[in-house]
Amino acid sequence: MAKWGMVIDLEKCVGCQACTVACGMENTRLPGEHWQDVIFFQEGEYPNTELKWFPRPCMHCENPSCVAVCPVRATYKTEEGQVLVDWERCIGCKYCMIACPYGVRFYTEEKPRYGGPDVKAVFKSGDARSWDPPWRAPQEDWRHGVGVQPHDVVSKCTFCYHRVSKAPKGTADLDPQNPALREFTPACVVTCPTGARFFGDLSNPHSEVNKQIAYKNGVRLLDHLGNKPQVYYLTGEGGSVPAERASKLKV
Amino acid sequence: MIAKQEPKSFGEVFALLSRLYREEGAVNFLKLCFTLGKTPTPAGRWWMWSSILTVAAFLFVMYQLVFVGHSSFNTSSDGVNWGMAISTYVFFALISSGLTMIASLAMVFGFKQFYPVAKRCIFLAIITLASGFAVLALELGHPFRMLWAMPTGMQVMSPMFWMGVFYSIDLVLLFIKFYLLWQEDWDSPLSKFVGAASFVAVILASGMLGLVFGSMVMRPMWYGPFTSIYFMLTAALCGAAAIVVTTYMAYGFDRRNMGPHLRELAEGADLPKVFATLIGITLVMFLTRFWVGLWSNLDGMDGFHALVRTPLFHVELWLGLVVPFVMMLSPGMQTKMSHQMTAAFLVLGAMFINRYEFIIGGQLVPMFKGMWAASLLPYEPSATEWALTVMGIGMSLALYALGEKLFHLSAVPPTLLETEDRPAYA
Ligand code: SF4
Ligand code: SF4
Ligand code: SF4
Repeated sequence: MAKWGMVIDLEKCVGCQACTVACGMENTRLPGEHWQDVIFFQEGEYPNTELKWFPRPCMHCENPSCVAVCPVRATYKTEEGQVLVDWERCIGCKYCMIACPYGVRFYTEEKPRYGGPDVKAVFKSGDARSWDPPWRAPQEDWRHGVGVQPHDVVSKCTFCYHRVSKAPKGTADLDPQNPALREFTPACVVTCPTGARFFGDLSNPHSEVNKQIAYKNGVRLLDHLGNKPQVYYLTGEGGSVPAERASKLKV
Repeated sequence: MIAKQEPKSFGEVFALLSRLYREEGAVNFLKLCFTLGKTPTPAGRWWMWSSILTVAAFLFVMYQLVFVGHSSFNTSSDGVNWGMAISTYVFFALISSGLTMIASLAMVFGFKQFYPVAKRCIFLAIITLASGFAVLALELGHPFRMLWAMPTGMQVMSPMFWMGVFYSIDLVLLFIKFYLLWQEDWDSPLSKFVGAASFVAVILASGMLGLVFGSMVMRPMWYGPFTSIYFMLTAALCGAAAIVVTTYMAYGFDRRNMGPHLRELAEGADLPKVFATLIGITLVMFLTRFWVGLWSNLDGMDGFHALVRTPLFHVELWLGLVVPFVMMLSPGMQTKMSHQMTAAFLVLGAMFINRYEFIIGGQLVPMFKGMWAASLLPYEPSATEWALTVMGIGMSLALYALGEKLFHLSAVPPTLLETEDRPAYA
């Protein structure tokens, strides 16, 4: 059984947000409902400051706290490691949003994030979907949190379950350069113009993702919390991930 | 509307209601239901106005939920996820737990002087829990789905799962206990067993509610086993404050209307002593929590610095806890009715702020939103969220007046008292 994981090389990432847009298109997200986002942060203090960034999808944690807290088992982890939300079970209690250390989950029923117009009101839904986008990707699978979600549930990055779950068994790496594997590779990985994102099987010792993690000292976000993300960052010389979740308040 | 004597079985209740219906006709019957009796009484007026308030707030919330949906709340994925509706739920759930604890003083631990408030405590525990659940149900995205998804999911790792289990058990036991007291069964083995079981259930329920927050290592302002203890002990304080307020209300704010046993409790030093002890414990916990929060450099604790700068924090600490503490400690003030009332009101207000500050404050530091979010998140309840809180409070007040009118809430075990101890209020 594969154990899918992602490696993001921050030396290569230019912060272009192409992954964010690709994810939004692939998964028909609302404006601002960024399953994948490039987080910008500031290190140091004026005049010695630096603007840094890192892309942040769901970490598909090995010990996902979001799964443990869900009172109805709507959030679950598949055998291949994706953490998904079953939209036919979710009661919209938002406990998983409280319990995710990385802030990657979104509740459907909220005020428009960019101050309007309210896209959901403009493209009103006539069925159980929460809105009716003028264009939407064909895949729909509510038991795995894929497609346009219904009202009042929580959604998140699926590691492109609708693509990855169809990959040939035993694949070590989903390399977007390989035409045979491209359609099984997550949209954000396919789109990345600098090739900063890698996707593969963490349980396969020969996979490219494992090599990258080993040779380039892959790190995980907030590792002390014990969630053990399956998304690794290569910080190299130019990149870094913040040790803290928010810029500190001046006291 | 109600016979001098409380009806003693559901059969009698229905017989009484249908007789009234036949005698008065439908319109008058409805009118009677609305005013609770032909002659106006304080309980009747209380019931009428708080029902109107509750229904108005409920209709407003429903209008918003149907036409706007939960986006009428000011909560957000990039900001505060759990808003005032959750803090209101916690406020009510813990008042309910505290009331059961106070009732247990007499019914489980044998402090006989607390018998005169036991039945009222149990009734109030039922209605405050029901109000809390009503608010929570309107906050959840799919409340009815919970009914099948929780038992089929059996996610035993989730603190919220156990919170649901224990509070449901608690509610069922409270209903049984109240039924038994209604039947004047105070000390049969069954009644004793239900009393003890509901005490255990309420400790588990309030403790588990604490763990819903206390287990969250990624939210350091909540994290730790202390949260569970904090919830249990502040619940007891809320229960004590609620029973002081409602008991005086029931007797028209005049101790002369009370029966001898209740008067003894109200005039004696036991009640203020218990009350002062609970406020004292809360103060100590409150201050240690803030000390650790302000002292620690741990990432995520920054919210404490913001909280101490809000006026609400100081209202809660000085007016809501320190002043009542002094009142209930000083021998000159502790037994006076006006001081007991003031202290209880202030404490209830402080605890409402406390739940709000705890729930919202714990989410002030954003989770990896980088420069897309402020370093401390802004949050203010929306009109819908306020209406939901008003609905919860109105519902408790209305049901309380109804209970005061329909049931003999001041009843005590016959062994304790021969004289009739009926409130002047009803
Ligand atoms: S990053 Fe958050 S949502 Fe994703 S698996 Fe981990 S805890 Fe769950
Ligand atoms: S919001 Fe849905 S997925 Fe999240 S914990 Fe609640 S029921 Fe589970
Ligand atoms: S894996 Fe798919 S769902 Fe997840 S961030 Fe990338 S494109 Fe979005």
